[in-house]
Amino acid sequence: MLKSRKHVFWEALLITIVVFFLGLLIGIAYEGSRLDKINEYYVISETSLMDILALNDFMKLSDINCENLIQSNIEFADKIYEEARLLEKYDSSGRITEDLKLAHKKYDLMRTFLWINSINTYEKCGNDFDIIVYLYEFDTRDLTLKATQSVWSKILFDLKQKKGNEIVLIPIAVDSDLASLNSILRNFEIGEYPVVIINNEHVIEELVSVEDIENYLN
Amino acid sequence: MDVLTVIYLVYGFLALYLLTLYCLIYIQNRKRFFESPPIKKQFSLSMIVPCYNAEDVIGETIQSLLNSDYKGLKKIIVADDCSTDNTYKIAKSFERKYLRKVKVVRTLKNTGRAAGAKNFGAKFAKTDLIGFTDDDSRPKKDAISKMIGFFNNSKTGGVTSRVLVQNRDSFLGKLQSLEYKIIAFTRKILGFVDAIYVTNGPLSIYRKKAFKDVGGFSMTNWTEDIEITWHMVSKGYKINIAIPARVYTVVPSTFKGWFRQRLRWNVGGLQTILTYKKSFLRCGMLGFFILPYFVLSWSLAIFGLLILSYRVIRTIIIRYLSTKMSIEAQTTILTLRDINLAPSILFFFGVLMFILGLTYNLLALFHSKEDELEKEGSHYLLAYMFVYLTVYPIILITSIYKYIKGYNKW
Repeated sequence: MLKSRKHVFWEALLITIVVFFLGLLIGIAYEGSRLDKINEYYVISETSLMDILALNDFMKLSDINCENLIQSNIEFADKIYEEARLLEKYDSSGRITEDLKLAHKKYDLMRTFLWINSINTYEKCGNDFDIIVYLYEFDTRDLTLKATQSVWSKILFDLKQKKGNEIVLIPIAVDSDLASLNSILRNFEIGEYPVVIINNEHVIEELVSVEDIENYLN
Repeated sequence: MDVLTVIYLVYGFLALYLLTLYCLIYIQNRKRFFESPPIKKQFSLSMIVPCYNAEDVIGETIQSLLNSDYKGLKKIIVADDCSTDNTYKIAKSFERKYLRKVKVVRTLKNTGRAAGAKNFGAKFAKTDLIGFTDDDSRPKKDAISKMIGFFNNSKTGGVTSRVLVQNRDSFLGKLQSLEYKIIAFTRKILGFVDAIYVTNGPLSIYRKKAFKDVGGFSMTNWTEDIEITWHMVSKGYKINIAIPARVYTVVPSTFKGWFRQRLRWNVGGLQTILTYKKSFLRCGMLGFFILPYFVLSWSLAIFGLLILSYRVIRTIIIRYLSTKMSIEAQTTILTLRDINLAPSILFFFGVLMFILGLTYNLLALFHSKEDELEKEGSHYLLAYMFVYLTVYPIILITSIYKYIKGYNKW
């Protein structure tokens, strides 16, 4: 009896394998479409970054208005801040493929570029704006750290809502293993993350309120 | 891919496989679903009713057996396990009234188990077949006659029936009613591949030779009806289920009663798994499907509960910490941004599995075809799938704990 009826077990196995792998392929395509969207944003942002860098270089040659440069920096920072939030959302729901992690790293590099450029702009154009860099650990299993980072995100989001175009907010994951970022961070002698660096002077390690951060701003 | 994703995918694969298997078996055998082979030989039959403190229900149970239209039913043997109420007296009144048909016997002392009364009653059966009905169950008039035809096949050792819930007024009763219908549907499907794993207590009939061959019901197992089935399958007997044979039973109406009943069932299930562990991947369908199916179901349910608990506890800790920190930092505790509107592919996979499961359950209910009692609303089906089944892994873990501690309650 077992022999005569066991074919149904194999049939079911075959159908399951086909359906399951079809599902997996759909899953890969679904996550791939998100990656395509992020890559599309990245290409546009990369162009904007190049534009800002060109503007910065051009400043060295001529007497360009600082206001334009600051505005470009802020707009670009706002743009990639929004993209970072989208990337974070996709990243937390990405299950099958690991490609988003690379996109994350590319964005961290871009944000590092922006930070360097903002430092230059800040030095040239004085204190008409504030640079707030939020350094966090992207790949952590520590629950306290996760909770702390989630609260920092909320505080900085509230601050951005309040200050709008007056601040350049740059969140960067420190565990992306970027040589440029690591070199910059060595100057600050930071013990543990997350931290917030305001105008490259004040390093805040403990959670503080929006009002407390405002005290450090220009 | 992280470990949790791999685990979810393995779960998804196994669930999809079982669902596909059930659907394939159903499609291939759907015309035989309500089959009831014609009776070629009028087998003589004794029906045993084991009872203990059942004064409220025993009369109706005996009467429902007396109403049976099966001509071969020779004796109804009421085996009283030393009840302390009027059960024995009520049964005796039936014996006086139906002297040739009803016989009432009493154990020397309370055996403490259904198996004790069942085996005691079986000693008085002198017929080709022996049937058993719980003291709170009422077989329909034609239930027995719908089962007998399966014994035309000399390999058939036992035939079981479709159990339906009598008391479905309460919320819990309605959920159990749904569960019983779905179980009967699944059991019939498994019957087509000789993988029925239990002959229920409310109404099952065994060939006397097979019953003797396995030494009757186990006195050490809390689910003697599962054990005897596995025993018969291991000895090469065939077990069938007759879907048209309906028997109504009374189910626990309180959560506590339900929990205790399920605890007993699962401790018994665990005992049976351990008793037959050596049959793994041996002894035909018992070792190749029934046993692995049981072990896999248990493992997946318990492991699933552990993963769920881990995730829930982890989320609670993060939420607690971030709320505490948010208050200290005077910032928003919860924002709309916290809701992730970009679900993962596993979410869609889960939704798909839920829809497939729902379709399967609806198919099972479509096949329940009963008109005597009120049917359950669709919202009960959702409650069954979301709440009722979620509690089950907790029962399994409690059962393991109780088993280790030495379970000794009936």
